[in-house]
Amino acid sequence: MTQISRRAALRGLGATITLPFLDAMYPAFAAQAVKKTLSATRMAFLYVPNGIVMEHWTPAGALGATPLENLPRISSALAPYRSDLLMLSGLTSNGGRALGDGPGDHGRAGAAYLTGVHPKKTYGKDIKTGVSMDQVAARQLEGKTRFASLELGCEEGIQGGNCDNGYSCAYSNSLSWRTENTPNPPEIRPRAVFERMFGAADDEKDPAKRKRLQSYQKSILDVVLDDAQTLKSALGGSDRRKLDEYMFAIRDIEKRIQGAEKSNETRVPVSAPSASIPTDFAEHSKLMMDLLALAFQTDMTRVITVLMGIEQSPRNYPEIGITEGHHGLTHHQGDKEKIEKVARINEYHIKQFTYLLDKLKATPDGDGTLLDHSMIVYGSALADGNAHQHNNLPTVLAGRANGSLHPGRHIRYADETPMANLYLSMLDRMGVPVDQLGDSNGRLEGLADL
Amino acid sequence: MLNSILNVFFKASLGTLPGRRLSAALGLCAAIGAGLAGGTLRGQDPARAAADDFQQTVLPVLSKNCFSCHSDRVHSGGLSLEVFRDDPALIAQKHEVWTKVLDKVNAGTMPPRPLAPLTPEEAAAITGWIARLGGGAEAGSPVSTGTADPGRVTARRLNRAEYNNTIRDLLGVTVRPADEFPVDDSGYGFDNIGDVLSLSPMLMEKYMSAARTVSRAAVFGEPYPEKPTLIVRLMPKKIQDDMQATGSVTPFSARGALYTSFHAPVDGEYEFRFRYQNFRGGEPVIQTDKGATLIAPVAPIARGPRPPITDEDRAARYERSCAAAPAEPLVFAIDGTTVYTYAVRGTTDCEYSRGESIARVKLMAGDHALRSSFPGMANMADVRTNFNPDGRRKLYMEYMDVLGPFNPSTAPPAGFKKIFMCGEPDNYSAPCARQIVENLATRAYRRPATVKEVDRLMGLVNEVRRRDTFEEAIRMAVQAVLMSPNFLFRIERDPNHGATGANVYAINDYELASRLSYFLWSSMPDDELFQAAAQKRLREPGALDAQVKRMLADPKAETLATNFGEQWLNLRLMDRKKPDAAKFPLVDDELLDAMRQETRLFLNAVVREDRSILDFIDGRFTYVNGPLARFYGIPGVDGEQFKRVDLDGEHRSGIVTQGSVLSISSYATRTSPVIRGKWVLENLLGAAPPPPPDDIPALEEKDLGTAASMRQRLEQHRADPACSACHSSMDPIGFGLENYDAAGAWRAKDGNFDVDSSGILPDGRSFSGAKGLKQILLSQSHAFTQNFTEKLLTYALGRGLERSDRGLVGQISSNVAQHDYRFSSLVTSIVNSPAFQMRSASSGDGVTP
Repeated sequence: MTQISRRAALRGLGATITLPFLDAMYPAFAAQAVKKTLSATRMAFLYVPNGIVMEHWTPAGALGATPLENLPRISSALAPYRSDLLMLSGLTSNGGRALGDGPGDHGRAGAAYLTGVHPKKTYGKDIKTGVSMDQVAARQLEGKTRFASLELGCEEGIQGGNCDNGYSCAYSNSLSWRTENTPNPPEIRPRAVFERMFGAADDEKDPAKRKRLQSYQKSILDVVLDDAQTLKSALGGSDRRKLDEYMFAIRDIEKRIQGAEKSNETRVPVSAPSASIPTDFAEHSKLMMDLLALAFQTDMTRVITVLMGIEQSPRNYPEIGITEGHHGLTHHQGDKEKIEKVARINEYHIKQFTYLLDKLKATPDGDGTLLDHSMIVYGSALADGNAHQHNNLPTVLAGRANGSLHPGRHIRYADETPMANLYLSMLDRMGVPVDQLGDSNGRLEGLADL
Repeated sequence: MLNSILNVFFKASLGTLPGRRLSAALGLCAAIGAGLAGGTLRGQDPARAAADDFQQTVLPVLSKNCFSCHSDRVHSGGLSLEVFRDDPALIAQKHEVWTKVLDKVNAGTMPPRPLAPLTPEEAAAITGWIARLGGGAEAGSPVSTGTADPGRVTARRLNRAEYNNTIRDLLGVTVRPADEFPVDDSGYGFDNIGDVLSLSPMLMEKYMSAARTVSRAAVFGEPYPEKPTLIVRLMPKKIQDDMQATGSVTPFSARGALYTSFHAPVDGEYEFRFRYQNFRGGEPVIQTDKGATLIAPVAPIARGPRPPITDEDRAARYERSCAAAPAEPLVFAIDGTTVYTYAVRGTTDCEYSRGESIARVKLMAGDHALRSSFPGMANMADVRTNFNPDGRRKLYMEYMDVLGPFNPSTAPPAGFKKIFMCGEPDNYSAPCARQIVENLATRAYRRPATVKEVDRLMGLVNEVRRRDTFEEAIRMAVQAVLMSPNFLFRIERDPNHGATGANVYAINDYELASRLSYFLWSSMPDDELFQAAAQKRLREPGALDAQVKRMLADPKAETLATNFGEQWLNLRLMDRKKPDAAKFPLVDDELLDAMRQETRLFLNAVVREDRSILDFIDGRFTYVNGPLARFYGIPGVDGEQFKRVDLDGEHRSGIVTQGSVLSISSYATRTSPVIRGKWVLENLLGAAPPPPPDDIPALEEKDLGTAASMRQRLEQHRADPACSACHSSMDPIGFGLENYDAAGAWRAKDGNFDVDSSGILPDGRSFSGAKGLKQILLSQSHAFTQNFTEKLLTYALGRGLERSDRGLVGQISSNVAQHDYRFSSLVTSIVNSPAFQMRSASSGDGVTP
């Protein structure tokens, strides 16, 4: 498939779908590299909140690996892709449990998911969890791609101190944590993600002028870094830490600019999404999936997290006829009607995942497809949302990771196997192995077994 | 001696003592003053004395009344009081535990019903000992401003609101790039807390992109289309729950209005083309609670071949339809000034092919409020009169296109002269260049720029000047300045470090000016304030108070309502929560916006008129427009404009019974006495209840209002002692507000049940209705004042409050009470306090000068 714009593709297919989110005002403009030989491994996480109705998710089966078949209602959407993915059961995020800290399972779940760390119960200034696994990889991959990582989302973070029984909203607003105290909040505006990747629409058109402006950017960064150094030496205590955050961020930008200059690029026309955020969840997440695929395709980054909903998400889904809030419904206390509604929401969510799988399968990459060279994890840090269950988490690992995964199976792990073990195995495949992350106690066996 | 007991008492009871409890406790204090003297005169180690005291006076009481639940084994609510029996050292350490115990004993919530309450002697034993405990730890240290710890605020980055306001004041631009920044981290209830605000690489990129946009706008003006084009198509939602609207969506108005803010990129002419829809002439309907129903059946259509329609027929039909409905004025206004009117005549057939209305208006660059509406509808008794049986409104704005700019101005942007204060285009000398840069950096960094800083920027300017124009070079300097940490952070420097002795120092005048302006205006100091700082006049006697007075009178002080007020009252929830559209068909986006505006105007009035802060509880006035007045049942207000009205206090007064507060403290479909009770306790009295235990079953909602009333459903809260401990303080408050439904309207019945809005508080006091509740709240004016002081002080300082601030909070509260609770007295007390004017030096970080 050649690189054609989404609009042209749809026209070609004879689709009569209107494209409300392509803004006619902005001309299609250049800028993206398609590297010919590309097969580095990518990884992405798609996170859905408030758990999943597990009775409609997990297929029957004993411990160990079994062929992936007889999928119950919600996971049956994955059946057409069974040869491309692994379903994992039995994994646990112990950091989400109370462990003596009282209520607050949602705040903990979100913060513990990619970190494997039990977060500190606070809604003040001293938030603390761990470094998330995507950032462990990002630090090592810095400089290799334009962005060390991208954080995307479909739900705005909540502004407010105490989101869940004494746990800060910061814990559920972000999936990714750069340091144990600094969250990496996701960008939820598709246009903003697009502009980060391709530049803003009012950028200079004249290429000579653009080059000059770019060189001035570097001088500006030098000036402000000098400012920061001078300032830091005159400050004490927590002020210095704030300056550290600042300087890290500036250096991050510097590296990105250097990376962009080094790549030789061929032009590919793409159209900018509309400036407004779609209110329809499917539309919104599809745009994010498109951008995710594009980012992988152009090797702008190899590490992406997508926070499709924040923990305790109160969002309703009128487009599928559900007017009550998601979180409220998941505390159904056994009410059959409510459970049914939750199951429908779960089905709606997983449709967005299969949309992404289709896209990745259809995008050539090096000697295969993007899906062949990726690891895409779909899951939640809660299993049964009603009981706030932190073990046996619903987890799907899609992709082949350049041949180092053997999909098509359901692997049931022993109870209480840490999620973080999966992360160690994934980091191995990203070429950035670590010995320990969060509460890991080893690698996850059986992912590559034939 | 009594004085130090009083001081000690303030310290031991952080902000949670209502007035009545205070006087009771003071009485107890006096009674056991002898015990205090006895304890310390014995010359014992204070901790040991406290432990002995505990064993003799308190332990028996606890053992009899508390250990059944709060033992090591049972551990109710996560608390064991048994641990203190054996470990005297723990007693002095666990100050927070005893503060909570004091609260609960004074309020009578522990032991919870149906267990027997403490006898007065038992209660006195506990509260007296706790008071002595506070004295034992800190006896002999009077609370004086000289030695109190002012705390240390960490460098604060500008939050979103502060960033937008600062670039507006610094450069005269009207772009608001911070609207695209991610939500600010929030702590202690506010989004301006230094330690909590983080700076991720993503945010840094946004700062960089914002710096590019702002610098270009400041020097060259915002970009705009070369030829006039369609800038935006504005479309209101068609129903309250509309998820399909695309393009630029504006709120839903049952009265068919279109209202929004439009940003004009440049001075010039803009054309507004809009269409309204006219579906009048539907069958006559009557409105009932169940919706609209037809009055008369429609006559059947005649069958058979129809006679040809002549031109006269057509003309006659047209005339008939134009006469069939009264003329309804349509008004299009920009920034409150009418720019176009039209009288919509008749039914659909009359107006159908009319086409667009067009108005071309000259506008300055910046934000403008657009409103196109049918003002006559503001006075509709029931807004459903504007609806047809099929659910479509009879008259409404369909869309508004904004085209332009026509004849755009080529003059430099508004803030140009703020930057280029010397020289002329193509004629900037080297000294002038340096002057421009130095002035820019000084104003942006809110203190004189250093030689090195200016040198660095001049290096950049000269580099750019080699290949581009001088203006472009200055634009780059603006960009650099906007990305500098000196701009993005409010920095306070420790003076010559390593200097001996001083671990507390006064911040300098520039830093004080910044604190003051960001407190009252959420923005940088203006020229007058900055000059006062530069001339070191800020700390002259009366100077600060004069500045406070001037600043509170300035329109920029409205940020106290929008930033402080809305966060204090948790009103930002209105961005996420709305009453269910099906259950509350009268409540559209426009009405919710009006409610929010009412609260903002009310908060502003308290600030501007320097009213008593107790008006928040029972102020007998508010601001309403026609639709909101009708929703509240307040007579005498018509039209779309807001007017101030006096209230008799029967149904509405203060903020607790304003629609904004009532709706955010409810669920979308029903009220929640628990949420409302918690809201009042938390935001007004500073007495938030602890979180609920795990696994509480949800409220049985099915027959609410038909088989059982809200009160009956919540009975379990009172029957079960595990629940009543906390719910006995929350639920009664909520019951007192049950006359207001989940959208904030008054109701006498909840479903089939008459509303019973009486309540009994844990200490036995009873009240009836919201009016009675407010009397009770007024009697707790001490607790209210203390809590409000804490909140405003947190916002003003940009850090959470510590134990060392307790004395200050107490002093400020009593000062405010002595000045008739006037708002300005609270502000001046804060501004004159050591915590605001001084800073603790950093401890042992080995800074080099």
